Formats: sequence, structure tokens, C-alpha cells
Amino acid sequence: MKNTFVFTYVLMTVAQMILSNYCHFSPYVMLTILPAMILCLPTKVNTLEAMLIAFATGLAVDWLAEGTLGINALSLVPVAFFRRYLIDAIFGVEPFEQKENLSIKKYGFARMSFAIILFTAIFLVIYIAADCAGTRPLWFMGAMLGFSLLASYMVSILLVNLLSYDDRR
Amino acid sequence: MPKERPLVSKIFSLAVFILLEIASLLMLSNNSELQKLWLARISHGFMAKTWGTTQAIGNYFSLKGQNDELALENERLRAVVRGYEQASHDADPSSRPFDGDNGFHYIPATIVKSATNTQHNYLILDKGSDDGVVENSGVISPKGVIGIVDAVSKHYSFAISFLNKEVNISARLDTSGAVGPLAWDGKSTSGAVLKEIPLQFKYSPGDTVYTSGYSAIFPPDIPLGIAGEAKVINGATNEISVSLFQDHSALKYVTIIENTRIAEIEEIENRKKEDKK
Repeated sequence: MKNTFVFTYVLMTVAQMILSNYCHFSPYVMLTILPAMILCLPTKVNTLEAMLIAFATGLAVDWLAEGTLGINALSLVPVAFFRRYLIDAIFGVEPFEQKENLSIKKYGFARMSFAIILFTAIFLVIYIAADCAGTRPLWFMGAMLGFSLLASYMVSILLVNLLSYDDRR
Repeated sequence: MPKERPLVSKIFSLAVFILLEIASLLMLSNNSELQKLWLARISHGFMAKTWGTTQAIGNYFSLKGQNDELALENERLRAVVRGYEQASHDADPSSRPFDGDNGFHYIPATIVKSATNTQHNYLILDKGSDDGVVENSGVISPKGVIGIVDAVSKHYSFAISFLNKEVNISARLDTSGAVGPLAWDGKSTSGAVLKEIPLQFKYSPGDTVYTSGYSAIFPPDIPLGIAGEAKVINGATNEISVSLFQDHSALKYVTIIENTRIAEIEEIENRKKEDKK
């Protein structure tokens, strides 16, 4: 089970690299599934471990995909840092206390969607701010955030089942 | 199973989070000129804000020192003015009588403790015998009389406040020149009563009240306050309420004045008394 999760996680990291390298639909759209991957980390993974995983994942994507080294790591580490607080706020303390992993089947489509949107929004706000580096107007950054959030959510909600233990069982 | 330490764990996580973010920012800065400029702009803005705030806090805490320096500077300037007035008077003796260096020595001081809420209020000043303060010196501010030094130690002086029922100072009404004892009214920190003003002296509310100079403690013409309503006492004298210029509840810096000729005055008084005997 553990090996399956690690394998799936690595595969999805590769998928993110492919998305970053080849899927440039518009300057307003930036596709990412990294926040959803952090959301679906097993609940036995604590904040410290989650941050280290996020940092390594972000660096791997930065290193192997086109982009500025450090930008994905910079955006993904805060997602991992706030993961525990956000999951507690959205799903209650149950997932961490009972070591239950998150899945659409257990917690419902709406709550998982909300969690993905929140995690992705945190990531995108930092990513877009760092990427634009003060050279783009606010409206452009707002539009990019909106379109990217919508596109990333749609991809993430499709892929989130792959990372969920319970749904795979 | 080891007991969980949430606070330590949270602090450690926060430290790691900050470290990872700094590492990411350094990588970002080193790999892109655009991001490097952006981060430099943000860090400069942050540093400017921090320095500005630090400077403001530092300035706030140095205000006491600056006030002390200003008080000393004020006293030095007053001494210079007194010198010019003396020179002017020496050059033209028919001019306005000089009241600057009439035997008084001035020492700036800070109030380190004061009581204003009893009927027998007092002050403790940060100058003592080592600074040249002697008993029975006056204590004044630019707005009036504050008290009289009653006891002196090496580094501090104890002064009876003007807000004390036992203190009377000789005061003069500006227009009529009538002189009488001025005492605290016992009610507020800026109220006083000018007593024993003979009825024949013309008086109108709004007159300025000055020290008369008839005591050996205070020089003449220190403005004290504004005269208010008067009432006749025993059909013989007026008692005039005075609104003091100096509010004694908001006081920090004062000047101690010592009459350097008081011994000479006392000697001549004593001699006259002995002659009468």
C-alpha cells in the first residue's frame, strides 16, 4: 500500500512536469496539481515531513521542468505548512486523530472540492506573485489566478482519487 | 509512547518552514534577474520600514535626555539674556530698572517626585548641595512660582510646594501695584488667592499678578497668574482669586533660584533690630 502511494505520487510529480513543459494554453492559465498532492498525503505524515516532501517535490518540478528554480518550492512549502490547520478547519479533527486519509468517498465531493480550491489558491497566489515579480498589473494577476484556479481544480479533482487509499481499496 | 509536545513541535515546524522559504527565495533570486530585482525591492522596502520604526522608537526613548538637555540650554540662554540686560542697564542707568542679575543664582532641576493631591504638597528635585542648592531657595518655572526648598541632601532637594496651605509668597497686582500675600486656594492645582489688598487700590479682573520682590526668596516680576473675582473681607481688604499660569499637575522641569545676597539682607535686618533694643 505504502509503495503504491509513493509510486503514484512520483507519477503525479512527473505528470506535473509534463503539464509545466507542454501544456501552455494561455498566459492566463497555469496548471498545477501539486497542492492537491500535498492535500492527499497520508494523515500520518506530520507537518514537518509534509514540508520536506513539498520542498523536494517543488524542487524536482523546478529542476526538470521549464521555469525558475525555487518558484514551485517557494509556493508549495506554505501549502504543506498550513495543511494541518486547513484540514482541521474543513474536515474537523477526525482525519488526523483517527489517522483517516482524505477521500471523496468518505468526506464528500463538496468538501474535497473546497479543500482543493483552498490549497490551490494559496499555491497560486504565491506562485503568480513571484512569477510576475511586480511587472504585471493587478488585473492580469487576478485574471491569471481565476483561470488557473479553475483549470487546476478541474484537473486535480480528476486525479485526487488516484492518491486516495480508501478509494483505491 | 513519548508524550507529544505541541508547542515545541509547532516552533520547530515554523523554524523549518522559514528555513525552507529562505532557501527557495535564495534559489529564486540566484536564478532569475527579474525575481532578484523584485526581492531586492521588497527587502529594501521592509528594511526601510523597520529602520524607520526602530528610529522612531529610539527617538521616543531618548526624549527624556533631550528634554534635560533643552532645560539646561534654556537656563544657559536665560543667563545670556540676563548678561545682556545687565550690560544694557550699566550703559544706560536711567533705563528700566534691571531685575536680571539682582543677586540670584539659577540652577536648572528636574522634579523626581511630587505630591499634588494633599493639603501639604511637596516636591523632590534632582539637585542637591553638591550642585550648589541651599535651603530657603526658591523654585520657579517659566510660568510662575513652584515652591521653596526646605531641606537639602547631597544629590536631592526637598521643596515645599506652592500647593501647600503653609506657603505664602509676596505678590503684586500689575496695574495698581498693590502688594499682598498669595496663597494656594486649596482646591485646584492652578488656583490661588491674593489676600489683604487694601480697598483703596483700584482693581479690575484680568490684571496680571507678579512676584513683588519683597521677599528674599523670589526676584520681582515673575508672572504668576491672572486675577479673577474679588470679595471684601471684614469690610477692610479685598481677597482676589487668581488663576495661575502654571498648572502644577503637569510639571517636570524647574529652576532653583538662590539669593546670593540673603546673608547681607539678614545682617542688615539683625543690625537694625539690635539698634532698636
